Amino acid sequence: MQAMSRSRTMTMKVVSMVLYVLVACVFVLPILYMFVSSFKTDTQIVSDMSTIKAFLPTGQLSLGNYSTIMVEGQFWRFFKNSALIAILNVGIEIVVNSMIGYALGMLAFRGKGIIISLVIALAVVPTESVIINKFIVVNSMGLMNTIWGLAIPSAGYPMFIFLFYNHFKGMPQELVEAAVVDGEKYSGVFWKIMMPLSKPIIATVAIMGFIRIWGDVLWPTLVTRDETWRTLPLALRALSTDVYIFWGQIFAFSSLMTLPVLILFLLFQKQFIQSLTMTGIKG
Amino acid sequence: MKSGLRRDQARVAWLFSAPALVLISLFILLPFLMSLVYSFTDKMLVMRPGRSVEFTGLENFVKVFTNGTTRQSFINTGIYAVMVVPAVVVLGTILAVFVNRPLKSVKVFRAIYFSPQVVTMTVVAVVWSFIFSPGSTGIMNSLLGLFGVEPHTWLQDPDLALGCLAVMYIWQTLGLEMLIILGGLQYIPGELYEAAMLDGCGAVKRFWFVTVPLLRNTMVYVLVSVTINTLKLFTQVYVLTNGGPSNSTVSVVYQLYKVGFLNNQQGYSSAIAVVFFLIVLAISLLQNYLMREK
Repeated sequence: MQAMSRSRTMTMKVVSMVLYVLVACVFVLPILYMFVSSFKTDTQIVSDMSTIKAFLPTGQLSLGNYSTIMVEGQFWRFFKNSALIAILNVGIEIVVNSMIGYALGMLAFRGKGIIISLVIALAVVPTESVIINKFIVVNSMGLMNTIWGLAIPSAGYPMFIFLFYNHFKGMPQELVEAAVVDGEKYSGVFWKIMMPLSKPIIATVAIMGFIRIWGDVLWPTLVTRDETWRTLPLALRALSTDVYIFWGQIFAFSSLMTLPVLILFLLFQKQFIQSLTMTGIKG
Repeated sequence: MKSGLRRDQARVAWLFSAPALVLISLFILLPFLMSLVYSFTDKMLVMRPGRSVEFTGLENFVKVFTNGTTRQSFINTGIYAVMVVPAVVVLGTILAVFVNRPLKSVKVFRAIYFSPQVVTMTVVAVVWSFIFSPGSTGIMNSLLGLFGVEPHTWLQDPDLALGCLAVMYIWQTLGLEMLIILGGLQYIPGELYEAAMLDGCGAVKRFWFVTVPLLRNTMVYVLVSVTINTLKLFTQVYVLTNGGPSNSTVSVVYQLYKVGFLNNQQGYSSAIAVVFFLIVLAISLLQNYLMREK
């Protein structure tokens, strides 16, 4: 009897493990496929694609696709563009939205209610619905085809203001008062006390903001005119809509584009997953 | 002393609010107001010399509902949402329950299921477009061929193209929604389950009377955020199909981009944007209503 139930739990364990692995395949195989194919020649990719070989490093493997996209495809140039834009955007995003979040969450002043209502109202407006007229505004400011035009307009973000506002509202008010009594300025309280205490929420906003700007296609399409500030997604699109399509290069380009984010994810996996898991509870 | 402190506080508060306020006013509020105003005019992105902007009343809005392509874009986007949202909510919940175990190996699987989220949509689209290669030797066709399914042309088939775009998005976002639902599941105190068990509730009853009501806010959040995200469909269309074949994948955002930016019709594009905004607003209000009700 006992032996039977033990073998039963054993089977259950095996069955559920098989299920876990099968589901994992659905998510992993396309990514694996991309990496594997990036080392193959175009003819190899096409001849492998109807069998299991598509996911295996078979045939002659080389770094040829990589050297081509770096030399002819100017990969590093677009990578540098995307990285600079993302760093500038996320940096400004964190500073600007946390500052207003602190003011709204911890300081008393007249006009606070109006600002909060404004932020809530604007949080409902999807970026996409104002995109053409936002383009007009940015164009009239002379920011077309500049890094500023790409990095700044989305930096003030109601959702992040709200995250910071909620975060600071939940912090003990006495911290501010005690520091002020000790002669600290209200601005000093923010930089010296509040920011160091806010690392988790800063990490959350940094991660979410980075994913947002790194993958954005619509805004760079409007604001870039040539290759000067062309970002990675746009460069990949150009590559994949070319007259001649070189799949090996496309996969190499895609792999290089994915790798840095994947590495960041693996390094900060715990933080990453924790912060995103919380989004549903905080709303 | 006290009033001096208060004044100091107000000064710092305004100073700290100013940068974000300037940014959201310039790049969200102002363009939004412009959209409202221009949607009633025939404003062009680049005005022809000597022509001024005319007030055209509701003409643009009538066009939104009568113009073939624009109307199609709203229908397509709706169909896309209907394909994506239930799939993500149902599969996401199943996966969340599936990985809600405190085992180390299960945590690894959580990370694996989530990993597509770090692949940028453009890359997702390009890779999946190859998986959906039309020939009989294409990956998806070969795979389905094992089960005796006839090869399809996928992205080149007006009946299937939008579904392909939906599959790409579901694949990318499922892990994220799984995590959010998991967060909601783990937020439910374990004692509640124990109490229910002591009261003689079986697994099904426990799920129905403990999990479902307490998961409600999380589910509403997932439902609404996924719905709104699907309505913003653009990247896959822009990278892969440009709205084709025969307008079967034109989305609202793609259409307002095309009309405004490529066809120069800023006023008409603004009208599409206003209708789009009203739909999103309605969904957000519904969310507020559903979440407030306990």
